[in-house]
Amino acid sequence: MPVSFSGKRLGRLLLLLLCFSPSPSGGSPADAAMTTQDVSQSQANSMTKMQAGLNESSSEPITTTRAVNWQTQRSSSDHLRLEHNASNPALLGPDPTPQEFKQATNENMSNVTVVKHEVLLSGVSGTPVEKTITLDRATRIELLCKLDAKYSHLKSLQVTWKKGNETIRHINKTENSWSVHLQILDNSKLGSYTCTLKGEEEISATFHLQVPKIQGREKPIVSYEGDTAVLICKTFGYTPIAWTWYMANGSDQITINGSLLTDKYVINGGSANVTHLKILKLTKEDDGVYQCEAAFELGKSVGKLKLEVLSLMVPLKPFLAIVAEVVVLVTIVFLYEMYSKKKDKYANEKEFDQVEQLKFEESNGLENSSARHRKI
Amino acid sequence: PPPADAGQAPGPPDGGWGWVVVFGAFVSIGFAYAFPKGLAIFYKEIQDFFGTSYSEIAWISSIMLATTYGAGPISSILVNRYGSRPVVMFGGLLCGIGMVSASFCTSILQLYICVGFITGFGLALNLQPSVIIIGKYFLKRRPIANGLAMAGSPVMLCTLAPLNQFLFDNFGWRGSFLILGAILLHCCVAGALFRPIGPAIVAGKTQATGRKDVLKEVTGNATNAPTENKMEEEEGKDCCEKINQYLDFSLFKHRGFLIYLIGNVLMFLGFFAPIVFLAPYAKHIGIDEYSAAFLLSILAIVDMIARPTTGIIANSKWVRPRIQYFFSFSIAFNGACHLLCPLASGYKWLVVYSAFFGLAFGMVCAMLFETLMDLVGASRFTSAVGLVTIAECCTILLGPPIGGTLIDTFGDYKYMFIKCGAVMVLAGIFLFIMNYYNYRILAKEEKERKAKEEDPQSVRTESEDRNNWNKEPALDGPELEPLREEGEGLKKEMKGT
Repeated sequence: MPVSFSGKRLGRLLLLLLCFSPSPSGGSPADAAMTTQDVSQSQANSMTKMQAGLNESSSEPITTTRAVNWQTQRSSSDHLRLEHNASNPALLGPDPTPQEFKQATNENMSNVTVVKHEVLLSGVSGTPVEKTITLDRATRIELLCKLDAKYSHLKSLQVTWKKGNETIRHINKTENSWSVHLQILDNSKLGSYTCTLKGEEEISATFHLQVPKIQGREKPIVSYEGDTAVLICKTFGYTPIAWTWYMANGSDQITINGSLLTDKYVINGGSANVTHLKILKLTKEDDGVYQCEAAFELGKSVGKLKLEVLSLMVPLKPFLAIVAEVVVLVTIVFLYEMYSKKKDKYANEKEFDQVEQLKFEESNGLENSSARHRKI
Repeated sequence: PPPADAGQAPGPPDGGWGWVVVFGAFVSIGFAYAFPKGLAIFYKEIQDFFGTSYSEIAWISSIMLATTYGAGPISSILVNRYGSRPVVMFGGLLCGIGMVSASFCTSILQLYICVGFITGFGLALNLQPSVIIIGKYFLKRRPIANGLAMAGSPVMLCTLAPLNQFLFDNFGWRGSFLILGAILLHCCVAGALFRPIGPAIVAGKTQATGRKDVLKEVTGNATNAPTENKMEEEEGKDCCEKINQYLDFSLFKHRGFLIYLIGNVLMFLGFFAPIVFLAPYAKHIGIDEYSAAFLLSILAIVDMIARPTTGIIANSKWVRPRIQYFFSFSIAFNGACHLLCPLASGYKWLVVYSAFFGLAFGMVCAMLFETLMDLVGASRFTSAVGLVTIAECCTILLGPPIGGTLIDTFGDYKYMFIKCGAVMVLAGIFLFIMNYYNYRILAKEEKERKAKEEDPQSVRTESEDRNNWNKEPALDGPELEPLREEGEGLKKEMKGT
């Protein structure tokens, strides 16, 4: 399958991506200052967008706290240099038009390497070519659609790049490839980008840009009343900004707050790429679907886990059934043995009597008595 | 007229109830070998639950294996004292109790004790007596019986693996341990099938003894000599060699036993490591997880077929007298497979390797205990197996960690395969050469003995031979003689009754 295969190449490219992720180490201080401020503003933009996207009213305070935490954390990392005071008017609009785009490129991340993602169109027009790109933080990427050499003879080719229904206008064209440069800064930029080559046939390829997926568990975790359950969520290779746990009760989502109810819920692993939710003293009400949500710069990713809480009677019934079966089998074996021993003894006694008869006829009384003595 | 030698201590039946005993041993040995491997399915979950590292979980397996092999001598002592049946039934009960208590554990240390020690000890009490009782029930067809009984291990593994997965999906690890405890109780059923037999157990055969004595009276033989000899021997033993009655340490003077011990201890250093690392090696060279697991299935299936087949081959009249050579050959073959494994590049060749490995593994396992029985004789086998297992225990435990260290140091799996292959080829060659000398020395001793006893009392010689086979430190040569004589004796007995 093209997606999974490209996933492997993707993985390697992503390693490259991570190496080249925006870590402006060079550049003049002035540039750097403006860079960080603009970046921080764009981060603030994305955060507000994220906040707007949230439905829960009760979780507002939590999210903002998390946002603050995240900003302070980010300030200490190399990846994006943030200052605590972030507020210059944004130079970026929501949709980068070519001029704005150029300007932004120059001012924001001029010293950042662009990661290229390439797709080779070999032209079997039936099968769609797709590539999944996982991004966890703001990056500049270049998406390239390259045409196979066998099609280089086609002259009249019209190439369009689209995101959904919107056309992207600024396309770089080289000899047989068409590319767009994109700056992915917030969730709205993620999605599917398609390049379509219209000639005699129409060939298209799609890039799916998405946040990292969380590895959950397809099979339910089975636990027992009164016991403890540990739910674990992992992301591979990407460190999320924050983790949140929810419990889906019917159609509602209830956030699990680790700081309240500490004798019931224990949450470990704040922002590493693994999180543990330990539920103590399970009851039937804890049965259900749990969701772990990893907040990345570019969006959120959800993993689902199912918890089943059984009572102790459930495994006890098969246990007792099997024990009963074993007892029955052992009894049968012993009874059969006693029965066959009795049969043997009876047969032996008969034979013995016959032999006795023989001896009595053949030998004298002395041997007879000693034989009887031996017979005990 | 009743035959002269018909009434002697009835030799192994070589059939009849013996096949039921083989089935019981099949179940018992299967659990003993396959259960520790089958538990690996639960480890990930338990690791997450207790928040421990993988190596701490792996200790459970190691403790279990160590206890199963290390408690061998205790098992032997108990069998020497009480016979196979009570020991196996108690072992099954202990396994069940161990797993049931494990399902209520709240820390990893408790798991070590319940699953590792208690269940491991119970499995040890299953393993040794099962092997011992086969030696008591079979002589002529013993290799086949051994091969069939040892086939229990791969069959149980193939059954337990999906069963464990099913139990885990439906009941979680605690419920699964509870139900597995009940399943392990089937060892008690297997133990119930182990009807006591053999000259040492006088109680069960009073009528037979009575009959035998009467018949001797009738035929007017050198009558009371055999039974009285036996009683005198037993009394002598009780007075002076009480310890040897429980655990025969005089085995260490037995040449064949020492050869077997050294060869096997060497062999186990490289025996289990390739199985442990086959799947990781496959994944390392780029094969996906399911295909890697499938390699192990191929191994198990070929193993399943190879064991009884090897038993049948080893029983044939060409191989049986030279069974030690066959055993050394199979060990060397196993080693050669491992040496060739690094050349396997690609999935197809790995499948071929797995198949050959399964074949070699099955061959070695099928004859593992048969060769020991052949060397020391059935009566001393009880103690021999206990002493051998505790010696093997060390190298079995060392094998995989040494392999792991090699892999970690060099970053390449091939050195581990080379090490295992080299060790096993060395062990095979050692056993081959030493057994060659042993056979020659035994043939010489046999000739000398025959020359000494060349007197007209052929009947007494026969009866002494039979007693020798039962009681005396068995020489290897006489194993072959009683084989033929027993056969004749049994045939006559059949005609007589």
